[in-house]
Amino acid sequence: MSKEKIVLCEDLADVMPPEYHELVESATFGNQDRGWKDIGSSKELIEQHSLCAGCPESIAFRYILASLPTPEDTVFVGSTGCTSLVFPHVAVHNIHSLFGNQNAVASGLKRTLKSRFPDVEKDVVVLAGDGATVDIGLDMTMQSWFRQEKFTTICFDNELYANTGGQESGLMQKGFVAKMAPKGKNFEKVRLAEIAREAGCAYVAVLTVSKPNRVEQAIKNAVLVAREVGPTFVQLYTPCILEIGKQSMEGLDEMKDAESIGGRFVQKEYITDEAQKLLDSIKEETKARKQAAKKPVNA
Amino acid sequence: MNKQVELKNKRVIASNHVKLGQKNQKGQTYTDINDIFYKAKQTPNFLTGSEVIRAAIKVASVGTSVAYPITPQSEAAALIGELYAEGYVDEYFRGESEFAVMGQCAGAAFGGHRVFTTTAGPGTLRAMENFPMWAGARLPIQVCVTCRGINSPLSIQPDTLEMYYLLETGMLIWHAETAQDLFDFILKGFIVAEQPDVHVPIAVCCDGFFVTHTKDTVDLPPDDLCLTPYDPYRNPQPVMDMETAPIRMMRDPFIMKSNYISYATHASWQQEVKAAVERSRKHTIPLLDGLIDEENTDREILIVGSGTAVSQAREAIRLLEEEGIKAGLVKIKTIRPFPYEEVRQATKNAKHIFVPEFNLAGWLAREIKANIPDNERVYVGPHVAGGMTMPSEVIVEEIKKHLGMEVATRGTLG
Amino acid sequence: MSHYEVKAGPEAFLPPAAASMGNVLPDPGEAHIGGKIVPEEEAYEKAARMVLGAKVPTIFPGPLVLWKWNDHVAEEAKAIRELALEAPMRIIPMADYRPKYPKINQEVEINPNHPNLTIWHNKIDVCIFFGVHCHMANLSLKMIRGGTNCYTIAMCAMAGDEDACLSFRDADLKMINKLKATIKKLKSEGVESQAEPFTQFVMGRSGTIVAPA
Ligand SMILES: Cc1ncc(C[n+]2csc(CCOP(=O)(O)OP(=O)(O)O)c2C)c(N)n1
Ligand code: SF4
Ligand SMILES: [Mg+2]
Repeated sequence: MSKEKIVLCEDLADVMPPEYHELVESATFGNQDRGWKDIGSSKELIEQHSLCAGCPESIAFRYILASLPTPEDTVFVGSTGCTSLVFPHVAVHNIHSLFGNQNAVASGLKRTLKSRFPDVEKDVVVLAGDGATVDIGLDMTMQSWFRQEKFTTICFDNELYANTGGQESGLMQKGFVAKMAPKGKNFEKVRLAEIAREAGCAYVAVLTVSKPNRVEQAIKNAVLVAREVGPTFVQLYTPCILEIGKQSMEGLDEMKDAESIGGRFVQKEYITDEAQKLLDSIKEETKARKQAAKKPVNA
Repeated sequence: MNKQVELKNKRVIASNHVKLGQKNQKGQTYTDINDIFYKAKQTPNFLTGSEVIRAAIKVASVGTSVAYPITPQSEAAALIGELYAEGYVDEYFRGESEFAVMGQCAGAAFGGHRVFTTTAGPGTLRAMENFPMWAGARLPIQVCVTCRGINSPLSIQPDTLEMYYLLETGMLIWHAETAQDLFDFILKGFIVAEQPDVHVPIAVCCDGFFVTHTKDTVDLPPDDLCLTPYDPYRNPQPVMDMETAPIRMMRDPFIMKSNYISYATHASWQQEVKAAVERSRKHTIPLLDGLIDEENTDREILIVGSGTAVSQAREAIRLLEEEGIKAGLVKIKTIRPFPYEEVRQATKNAKHIFVPEFNLAGWLAREIKANIPDNERVYVGPHVAGGMTMPSEVIVEEIKKHLGMEVATRGTLG
Repeated sequence: MSHYEVKAGPEAFLPPAAASMGNVLPDPGEAHIGGKIVPEEEAYEKAARMVLGAKVPTIFPGPLVLWKWNDHVAEEAKAIRELALEAPMRIIPMADYRPKYPKINQEVEINPNHPNLTIWHNKIDVCIFFGVHCHMANLSLKMIRGGTNCYTIAMCAMAGDEDACLSFRDADLKMINKLKATIKKLKSEGVESQAEPFTQFVMGRSGTIVAPA
């Protein structure tokens, strides 16, 4: 909906709790240039939630919500897992239905919104854990890519099943000893990014959430390419500090280690030519728009 | 327990956000459901059940339909694809499994479309996790279940065991006897399921092959009329399109975490879904002319059934009549909500109640036994399964045997 | 036809849904009082008397009327405010339906997942729901009946709520105004409000501006 509609009725506004006043007064709905830098200076689209203190999923959520091109016309689809503890507190419509069916739900949703609102770009973004994306839901994840469904899939890769207490997942590293892998996981971490590329994603990015500007760029690219070209996939390392035995302050170091040379999360992107062309033209347009805005009005 | 809802000549109010009389892109005129069935001229057509599903969907203003092949619904699902190609359905595609299909249907319904799909047997069970999710999420999706066998060894033949698994999903469950029922139930099912006080999914069930693959005469309204489209804002929950308040909205949040919530919320939620199913009675009774049909229920011998078992029972009653034995008939059209009070009333004079079923579980007999007084009157059977037919003579024999009458000996099967 | 009487609780650990006890929703032009179908007129009178007779009558506006997501809701919000002033009643919002973390401030908010907390805390004895989606309203209404002695009135924009002690259906601006007019009329006939004196709280961006009292 247009940002003008995200307002309170004047006659009852003054009974609303403070966070809603903030939301309508200083959230960045409708701001073309919104991004991670707004964090701190404007109202974020997320309230207090019950993730573990210091869980990198929390900061990942904040960067993603700050980076969505048009949150006022975005609907999220989640899945069962730690992310479901955050979604009730997010000021964007979002759906949880079952564990693992998120890309199926998103397929039906995206097509419906396209059909109901042919003139409005309604973005659908899936955000689910690695267990949901790769294990129980892999079939539906990949099939949505095969079918070229035009939405973005984000995987919070914490390399295990966190919400059920730290069991082995397909994205866990080989050799890691976990619940249900008592002798250490005996096969390699699934190469999901390459699977995504081969399955037809037009834009794929793998990175940690240690650097907000990089997360912002990946999310923007993914959402914009999904609008015009085809399915997109972003895999974010959000280590489960609880299950790998880290303190709440240690998540950042863990991510930095993982993204340094030779690590599992060295940043990489796969972009089709068509997607690259689109991203280049968007970059040009944005540059031109910002330059035009800088010119004095009466010049 | 449920009381009978009075009829009072109620008219079911369908959505009226689109003006009646207006035309859609295909030139069909949006028409009130009552007018489609009770005012428009009905013309007899000789069709298979699959073709009847197509005919119903052609005039149902469906937004999304998702398909997956499984006998005996594959033909119908493919025919809906033709309707999509012709422009009668907005969105249609083949999903990758029944579990995925039902998720895709959920996504479409969360986004505000009228949604129709079909499945059968193993497909129904593959999809099962979705059905209570649909109901809990108050999504008025319609799934047409063309019943077939579900256990190993594989069987594509008719068997209504899968309906047993659907009973406590929170969906409305209607059981069509004939192709005519199937047509009527599909269209009326949308209207009832989408009432804002109901707004739960509906399974319109029929017996595979017997209904889907045989030809029958069906009265159809003109196909230049169609149902008014679904109004996603007449909804007991916010539709997920970012066009409605509140925007801080998760469908549906976990309410069982001990740090915020009383468990009573989940219990109350479950009660509300059951309540929604009960509320459908008020809308269903005028549209289906009651949840049951009765014939001669003043008689001491009664046959109570649903689906094609009713047709076989009707013929059995005729055969019994030839021998001077008088029996009455109760046809149950809605399994959920179950017509408790109606069945109690209809069976109050009966001394012997027979419940023929196309499954070995005898779920209909159990429902009846659990809800009428003096339930030793209920004889659980006869049963057939795995695609067997139920010859009317078998029903006759079983009744006579049970009543201690002489029965001509009969060769064994095979 | 006899009906299951829906009255103020506390009724049970888990009270049944009235619909499952056979209660049926009113038709257009009707309402229900305690589960009994009555002409709408009768319900205005009863609702107005209940509000005036209460010590802590309170309106719980829901998201559909708190947010200006379309043009006509602003007028309804205004009418709700006027109704509250006329009675007088307190206003406590149900801003949305999320299970709020870590907890709600029960003095100034109501949440459908544990509505009893707000009712107990503020000793609310009569309440009106308006602008709450039916599913969430029914969840709350059952829990309120289960655990509190609050008399619940639902002004439902659709088919009505059987789980309220009194429910209108097709509620809109006209109906809010009519309830207000009925209260006014009763007062002019000498029925006095029994409401305890209170200060309606005022909230702003940085928190409480006027505290409830
Ligand atoms: C059908 C089904 N199977 C299993 C579960 C149990 N379950 C809930 S969350 C979860 C693990 C989630 O792991 P992941 O997707 O990696 O998310 P995380 O919690 O790690 O963020 C599992 C196995 C379930 N809810 N449903
Ligand atoms: S269990 Fe792990 S992933 Fe879940 S909130 Fe805690 S640290 Fe984060
Ligand atoms: Mg995980």
